[in-house]
Amino acid sequence: MSYPLAQLCLLPLLLSPLSPGAPISPAEPISQAYSLALYMQKNTSTLLQTYLQYQGSPFSDPGFSAPELQLSSLPPAVVSFKTWHALDDGERLSHAQGAFLALTQHLQLVGDDQRDLNPGSPMLLAQLGAARLRAQGLLGNMAAIMTALGLPIPPEEDTLGVVPFGASAFERKCRGYVVTREYGHWTDRAVRDLALLKAKYPG
Amino acid sequence: MALFSVFQTTFLLALLSLRTYQSEVLSEPLPWAPESLKVFINSTHQCLHLQWSVHNLAHHQELKMVFQIEISRIKTSNVIWVENYSTTVKWNQVLHWSWESKLPLECAKHFIRMRSAEDDAKTPEQSFWSNWSSWEEVDVQNSLGHDPLFVFPKDKLVEEGSNVTICYVSRSPQSNISCYLEGVQMQGEQLEPNVTVFNLNHVAFIRETGTNIYCKGDQGDSIKGIVLFVSKVLEEPKEFSCETQDLTTLNCTWDPGSDTGLLKQLSQSYTLFESFSGKKTLCKHKSWCSWEVAPESQEMYNFTLTAENYLRKRSVHLLFNLTHRVHPMAPFSVLFTDVSTTNATMTWKVHSTGNYYTLLCQVKLYGEGEVTQHNVSVEVDGEQLFSGLEPDTEYRAQVRCANANHFWKWSEWTHQNFTTAEAAPSEAPDVWRNVKSVQGHSVVTLFWKPLSKLQANGKILFYNIVIENLDRSSSSKFLSIPAPANGTELNLDQCSYQIHVTAHNSVGTSPASVIIVSGDPGNKEVEEERVKGTEDGFSLSWKPQPGNVTGYIVEWCDRPRGPLCDLQWKSVGPTTTSTVVSSDAFRPGVQYNFRIYGISTERVPYLLEKKTGYSQELAPSDNPQVVMSNLTSRSFTLSWKDYSIESQPSFIQGYHVYLKSKAGQCHSGSEKAVLSDDAVCCKYKIDNPKQKTFVVENLQPESFYEFLVTPYSSVGEGPHGAFTKVTTPDEYSPILIRVILPMVFCILLIMIICYLKSQWMKEKCYPDIPDPYKSSVLSLIKSKENPRLTIMNIKDCVPDSIEVLNKQEGTRKSLTETESSKPTYLYLLPTEESYSGPGPCICFENFTYNQAASDSASCGHVPVAPKAPPSQLALLTSPENLLKALEENYMNSLGEIPAGETSLNYVSQLASAMTGDKFSLPTNPPEPALCSEYKMQMAIPLGLASPPSSGSSSLSSFTLLDEGEHYH
Repeated sequence: MSYPLAQLCLLPLLLSPLSPGAPISPAEPISQAYSLALYMQKNTSTLLQTYLQYQGSPFSDPGFSAPELQLSSLPPAVVSFKTWHALDDGERLSHAQGAFLALTQHLQLVGDDQRDLNPGSPMLLAQLGAARLRAQGLLGNMAAIMTALGLPIPPEEDTLGVVPFGASAFERKCRGYVVTREYGHWTDRAVRDLALLKAKYPG
Repeated sequence: MALFSVFQTTFLLALLSLRTYQSEVLSEPLPWAPESLKVFINSTHQCLHLQWSVHNLAHHQELKMVFQIEISRIKTSNVIWVENYSTTVKWNQVLHWSWESKLPLECAKHFIRMRSAEDDAKTPEQSFWSNWSSWEEVDVQNSLGHDPLFVFPKDKLVEEGSNVTICYVSRSPQSNISCYLEGVQMQGEQLEPNVTVFNLNHVAFIRETGTNIYCKGDQGDSIKGIVLFVSKVLEEPKEFSCETQDLTTLNCTWDPGSDTGLLKQLSQSYTLFESFSGKKTLCKHKSWCSWEVAPESQEMYNFTLTAENYLRKRSVHLLFNLTHRVHPMAPFSVLFTDVSTTNATMTWKVHSTGNYYTLLCQVKLYGEGEVTQHNVSVEVDGEQLFSGLEPDTEYRAQVRCANANHFWKWSEWTHQNFTTAEAAPSEAPDVWRNVKSVQGHSVVTLFWKPLSKLQANGKILFYNIVIENLDRSSSSKFLSIPAPANGTELNLDQCSYQIHVTAHNSVGTSPASVIIVSGDPGNKEVEEERVKGTEDGFSLSWKPQPGNVTGYIVEWCDRPRGPLCDLQWKSVGPTTTSTVVSSDAFRPGVQYNFRIYGISTERVPYLLEKKTGYSQELAPSDNPQVVMSNLTSRSFTLSWKDYSIESQPSFIQGYHVYLKSKAGQCHSGSEKAVLSDDAVCCKYKIDNPKQKTFVVENLQPESFYEFLVTPYSSVGEGPHGAFTKVTTPDEYSPILIRVILPMVFCILLIMIICYLKSQWMKEKCYPDIPDPYKSSVLSLIKSKENPRLTIMNIKDCVPDSIEVLNKQEGTRKSLTETESSKPTYLYLLPTEESYSGPGPCICFENFTYNQAASDSASCGHVPVAPKAPPSQLALLTSPENLLKALEENYMNSLGEIPAGETSLNYVSQLASAMTGDKFSLPTNPPEPALCSEYKMQMAIPLGLASPPSSGSSSLSSFTLLDEGEHYH
């Protein structure tokens, strides 16, 4: 029910970087990005729980957690506070930009995997699709911030490459778990990044 | 033991020499040894594909050969599979062979070698094998990568109930690895130091998305797992059948059973193959398939239906002749022609199934609860004549057809309804009458029963009534009553009438029903007889009549208690003398009256018998309203005249009178009875239901009784409701009343007389004492308009004393000489003191006054100044006046007495009192008459005041009046 509404809200956010003439003040895109990141933050745990619920044991077991599972193609969000704090605005934005670019591609992949593994769960597929759309929206917002701050926008990369297609069903389930988990972590980190920026550039 | 060793050594040596010999003999290698052996691995299917060739075959030479293949696991000596593969080998042919491993190939190394021999039927034992090829090693583990843990097989698809072998390969031997199936740990066996195998038997279907199996080390390793896809077993299609409706399309159907589809793979598919034509079609649906019949006349069809999924194939076969599988379409264009009152013709068409076939059609006709069936042979159009139908009746016809030559299945039914035409009513209406005489007229109510559907033959529109006067044949009357009336009322005179009733529908008239209403009602008195009803009705019988009787009629009311009694009747033939009357309207506890009439040959009904009864008798529901009268100390009378025994729910046989008393003694004529509440009472029984009074006797005076009167019938008695309470009166009170009443009357009489004569009595017995306040003297005084005037009250009179001292002188000795020297006190009126001083003469001769005073209080005769009236007192008790007056009074009184000569010493009692009478003493000049005579007072007011009693007070008044005048 809330997805169409969310998508409608995202539409201007997606269009904003495409509009001619970059905004003079970075405050507005920072505020927009921050609001979106906050909104995304509210739904990340739901997405993860829904995802796990459809994968069977051990994923659906209560309290399932496998932090050791990582994807080489997806940069981890975990970073020490000192390192994070030492980063400048451009680096922070660049890291987030790269991560959400990878996340959008991975969320697409996970959506495809789940359409194959769990075709009878439209709710999961819809949530994955919505998460991907929001990640794309945040990417656009961050591009607008970087433009406003006069920072170079990193080029889009194919982070996935050709590796993931031979994965087994279990590997794909694990992959989906890592992607949905990291999506939450990166969203949390983006909220903090943007909060810092917001404080620096009050509107 | 040594001997055994020697023997064994010898045997082995012999054996060795034999083999050496053989190898020498056969040292020439077999010319057709397998060469170029290659092994291909299919991990997904856990298959090894072998490929080799046989050289040295001549061109176009074909040789039957057998290849022995050996497969070892882990090490070459561990042979796990040996198979002889026979085939015909051609020149330059590449040979293939596959082997599926139960253990995933990644779990262990495999080694394969083979040798060949000529497969000669003449020499069944292949004693001349070629040399073994060299071992080919299959090691998939090398290509796995560097992950610490692997689980195999990946994404395996198996059928439910099959056995699966799973293994993990660990690259960190120090890690302790556990594996789980859907969260349940599995127990495995170690195959190699780094490989553990789990054998799963009879795997179960859990969900369509597969079963997760995963392993995890205790060193914080990543979880690794596989998904095992377990599908349901493909079932063989059941009830496979094909048929055609139009000989152009075959429709084949079957029951597919359960779906084996998993989300990873599609469900099973179905293929239809016909062997004669060699055609094949992939069915689009899971349970049916269409097959186009070839235009050429193929009669025989041999179908094979194949169900197939990823793992299995199943087939069923069906061989049939097309003409034997014809399931015709439902007939159409069902019409009815020539529909008359009793006949109709039905026609229909059938769909063409070619020119060679005859159809057998089944026609069913439903009407009036009956079903008739006809079978008709039809080629194109069908026709069926229905006869013997009922007029004005709706019928439902239905038809279906089947192949007449080779019955396969009936078509669907085709339905159609039709209604036959109306005919004239076939029966005369059943008519009855009720005759009442009202003021010299006969009010005849005619009733008739509506004709049944079979009798009416159509819709009855009206009833015609012809009333024919039998006494005057010339006059007759005609009435037409529109339907659906079932009766009418006629006012006739006392003549005899013959009444004809006919029913009419749109086609014609029914036969007439004739009844004669006699001028003589002939209601002879017939004794009523009781009958007993049952649930099925009343069984009535009557005496056969000696004369000619054309029939009998039993008449009753369905609702005898209602305002409209709902008259019913039943006609029976002349030979019948009994019948059972039943009605849905009969209710238990309601009395029904039956009258049985005989119908004479002249059609005149006459009453024969009367019956009455209940379909079921019920206990009386209520008790009579009892009036109690004639209550005496010994008896009282009960009566319930208003109780109607006819309207009771059963035949009342009598009454029970229950009497409760404290004594509990029952006299003769009663018996003890115990009520439902365990109360004991006396029961009197009255056998005659018409006796509605009862005298309860032998009672105790001044006793409390309770009584109840309840009717009883054969099924019980009335409710034991509230008892009426009564207390018998005292036995003597009537006598007392007889005495007291006259006495009271007498006393009253005397009192009235006394009252009437009271004035006289008063005058005689106690005349009025004159009241000074009401004295006429008062009015006289008032006329002088002195408001301070009042009458002196006797109570205020304080007597003064006069001390008479006995002195030896004077002429007054005579008064006191008997008193010697003692002082004598005389009580005087205080007002008189003023006169006492100067006057030596005192006389007390007011006898009248004394007499009156003797009856009153002790000082009543001494008038005293009144204290009560405050107005007067206020004047008198003005303090300065009073003191002054007292002093003066006292001084004066002392001063006035002459010292030497005074023989009467007056001591005023008012030394401290406040009688105002003395105030005037010094100022008041004495009255002119020094010697006052008391008698004189009586003389003065004679003319003014009528009562003589207040003479002294009037004197006081005068004194006060004077005093007052002086003060003012």
